[in-house]
Amino acid sequence: MNAVVEARRNVRVTLRVNGEQTEVLFAPYKTLLEVLREEMNLTGTKHGCELGECGACAVLLDGVPVLSCLVLAIECEGRSIETVEGLARGSELHPLQAAFADLGGTQCGYCTPGILMTAKALLDKEPDPGRERIREAISGNLCRCTGYLQIYESIEEGARRMREEAK
Amino acid sequence: MSAPAVQFDPSSARFGSSRTQKRLEDDRLLAGNGLYSDDRNLPNQAWMVVVRSPYAHARTASVNADAARTATGVLAVWTSGDLSADGVGHIPIPPLFKRADGSPMAAPLRTLLADGTALYVGHPVAAIVAQTQVQAQDAAELLEIDYEELPCVIDPRKAILPGAPQVSAQAAGNISAEQRYGDAAAVTAAFAQAAHVTRLELHNQRLIATALEPRCALAQFEAGRWTLYTQTQQPTGTRDALAAVFNTPPQQFRVVVGDIGGGFGMKTGLYPEDALACYAARKLGRPVKWRADRSEEFLATHMGRDQHFKAELALDPKGRILALRMEGLANFGSVPVGSSAIIPLVLGPKVQTTVYHVPVIDYRVRGALTHTMATGAYRGAGRPEGNYLMERLIEKAAHEMKIDSVELRRRNLIQPGQFPYRTHLGETYDAGEFERMLDGALAAADWNGFAARREEAKRRGKLRGRGLAVYIEWTGALPTETVDIRVDADGTVTVFSGTQAMGQGLETSYVQLITEVLQIPAGKVKIVQGDTDQANGTGSVGSRSAFVGGSAIVAAGRETIARGTELAAQALESAATDIEYLNGRFRIAGTDRSIGLAELAARQAGRQIRVTATETPSSPSWPNGAQVCELEIDPETGEIELVNVTSFDDIGRIINHMIVEGQIHGGIAQGVGQALYEQAIYDAESGQLLTGSLMDYCVPRADQFPQMATHFDESVPCRTNLLGVKGCGEIGTIGAVPAVVHAVLDALSPYGVAHIEMPITAEKVWRIVAG
Repeated sequence: MNAVVEARRNVRVTLRVNGEQTEVLFAPYKTLLEVLREEMNLTGTKHGCELGECGACAVLLDGVPVLSCLVLAIECEGRSIETVEGLARGSELHPLQAAFADLGGTQCGYCTPGILMTAKALLDKEPDPGRERIREAISGNLCRCTGYLQIYESIEEGARRMREEAK
Repeated sequence: MSAPAVQFDPSSARFGSSRTQKRLEDDRLLAGNGLYSDDRNLPNQAWMVVVRSPYAHARTASVNADAARTATGVLAVWTSGDLSADGVGHIPIPPLFKRADGSPMAAPLRTLLADGTALYVGHPVAAIVAQTQVQAQDAAELLEIDYEELPCVIDPRKAILPGAPQVSAQAAGNISAEQRYGDAAAVTAAFAQAAHVTRLELHNQRLIATALEPRCALAQFEAGRWTLYTQTQQPTGTRDALAAVFNTPPQQFRVVVGDIGGGFGMKTGLYPEDALACYAARKLGRPVKWRADRSEEFLATHMGRDQHFKAELALDPKGRILALRMEGLANFGSVPVGSSAIIPLVLGPKVQTTVYHVPVIDYRVRGALTHTMATGAYRGAGRPEGNYLMERLIEKAAHEMKIDSVELRRRNLIQPGQFPYRTHLGETYDAGEFERMLDGALAAADWNGFAARREEAKRRGKLRGRGLAVYIEWTGALPTETVDIRVDADGTVTVFSGTQAMGQGLETSYVQLITEVLQIPAGKVKIVQGDTDQANGTGSVGSRSAFVGGSAIVAAGRETIARGTELAAQALESAATDIEYLNGRFRIAGTDRSIGLAELAARQAGRQIRVTATETPSSPSWPNGAQVCELEIDPETGEIELVNVTSFDDIGRIINHMIVEGQIHGGIAQGVGQALYEQAIYDAESGQLLTGSLMDYCVPRADQFPQMATHFDESVPCRTNLLGVKGCGEIGTIGAVPAVVHAVLDALSPYGVAHIEMPITAEKVWRIVAG
């Protein structure tokens, strides 16, 4: 009984989310997904399966895509967390988001945050990936609406715009 | 047979100018600002978990809830007795069907919690509410339920045999409902004349929609009235079903729906958990939230398909179809939902003869009960099953008769001169250019250049195959929608529609329609859906939203102009007949005296103009088309690589090309999923769902997906609605299933296989190739 009570006592952890340091109070068993959604009201990251099977909860941890449903938030102290809410620059969409809007890369939008973050991680490392690399990179993100084609095209176009910007 | 009344208005043709308007939904969805039901929370909300049967068939002999009730944070534990004591009823299903003896369709009532006997794995048995979700989950572990396991039956072919375990005392022999169509005597006579008979038995396997968004319900009871936040394609239907469950007027409920993370037919009607959340909210006097975990989504969200068919096709010496005789056996599951029976008993038969002239048909279909989750609407809902069977029959007949399969299709296609065409089952096709779609697909896919590609693949050690399907879809179900429009003094035009967006970009398409009619900027338009206090209708099912809902929006837009013209005549002291409308202004023709829509609204009582229009297209529509699939098989592993899928569709006029293309792609993806990857499997002995996770149930992933090329022929507008649209949400699925299967069979033609049951997995292919 005491152990249970102990485990549920909230911890205070400093998280760096989308470039901002925030102190968050949460129960230590909570996943990063739960802390983002429930404690920080960042609901752009989605509950899909909570088993690491669908990719809807993907966020970047130190620039690497992780499934936030499988990461304990307590382990993220001092690490950089990027979520979909941090992509846009003010009211202007990130070039990757804009490409999705232009090319039909999102339908119901539920898988979209996870796919955007996974694609961003790929493009940050490989500015000009081929279709095969894109397919491989997002093969852990399920989409039930699009058949993926407009997503590949959106990521390719997003990559092109990001390269333009970098010039 | 007279032609359907022509309602299509050529002046609407500009809606179909194939513009691609960027989606208005995307700014919020791409920024993570969508508002899905799980994104909502209310102050002081409690959490509900549902405890489910681990057995396919078991009596709940006793429930000991003492430990659960006293666990930390627990507010309540309920079983079915608690609900009945409070007068809570069951979720009704439409009483449309009968058994062979004329008695009504027989099935267990869809109570919110199992009423003494659990009838499938996942059947809700108890509900627990606690302060937090974790406390409710922990308490669920403490609930002691004493189950007496009973024998179960999973396969409907076994369920209807004598001695099978019975699902319901009312449904003797586990037959829930039955329907017959056609003319058995005429078919027997036609078979006697046949030069060739092709026979086929197949299973259209059970599928799971797997929308990425798990179901979620958040209910609140305040001042004697409920608000339910949920995700449903039919907000009004959900509200009305709640009213039936709680035996109250529908106005006691407000159903609110925000963004929906995919529906595909599975988010239709009311689910028990929605109603349980409402019960809990009233009982506890505080908001109550429930969210399905993925496992519950697999176990207890209605599934799709699961129909067995036996069919015989009679042909003359030239391969012309003389008659079709068939028998269908649908697996309803144990506790049917509203769409369980209508799909196999009505919707499949509607399209059964597809694009071919089939003079006579003898069609018997039965619905069986088994100890499984209910089947219901899933993308296509009956039409993929009917089209798949017909295409498999014609393909098999071509092989058996040694007639080129394209040629055999041509000989049987309904020709343009035959419209309006009445099928032997009594459906009337208003128009179609079936052969043109076939030719379009063949040309777009370079059908005739295939031999060289097959040779080239062979040099790489691959077996290449091509597959063809031609098909018809039926849309425009429940053909009435009412739309209200409100013009405010600031010029905002608000459109209220009871259809429901679930990812298909309805908001954008509707804004396109209304800006065309009213000639105002899109920024002035607001679309309101998903709130039964503001808009009501049938909702979005069966690819009806543009067809019915869009037509009603145009009608309401025109009504706005008509009403505005009267009001402008008063304001400008002129005759209404002298008023013309252009770009948001009413003007006395030939003068410079005019008044804007906004200003006109400002002058009215309440500073607004309100109109209502109801639109009922005169008959359904028949989208149709052809698909070609090419793929390659690695004979070493049996692995199938899809190379491409080419579609050539007549879906009538197109409102937004980008959206429509996405609908076709997504439809094809779900068809490919059925053909190659997906199947819900219950263990035949224990009734356990073996495909209960995304690791076991194979939803296609990005690296399994091919190139798709979509083509459209907009030259045959639907004549029965204002827009000339036909509906595009499901046709991709309908075409892809047979096209992909035929491509596999073609690739395996050296091995002489006549049929392979779906899903055609690498293992099945490898076994064939390895002999």
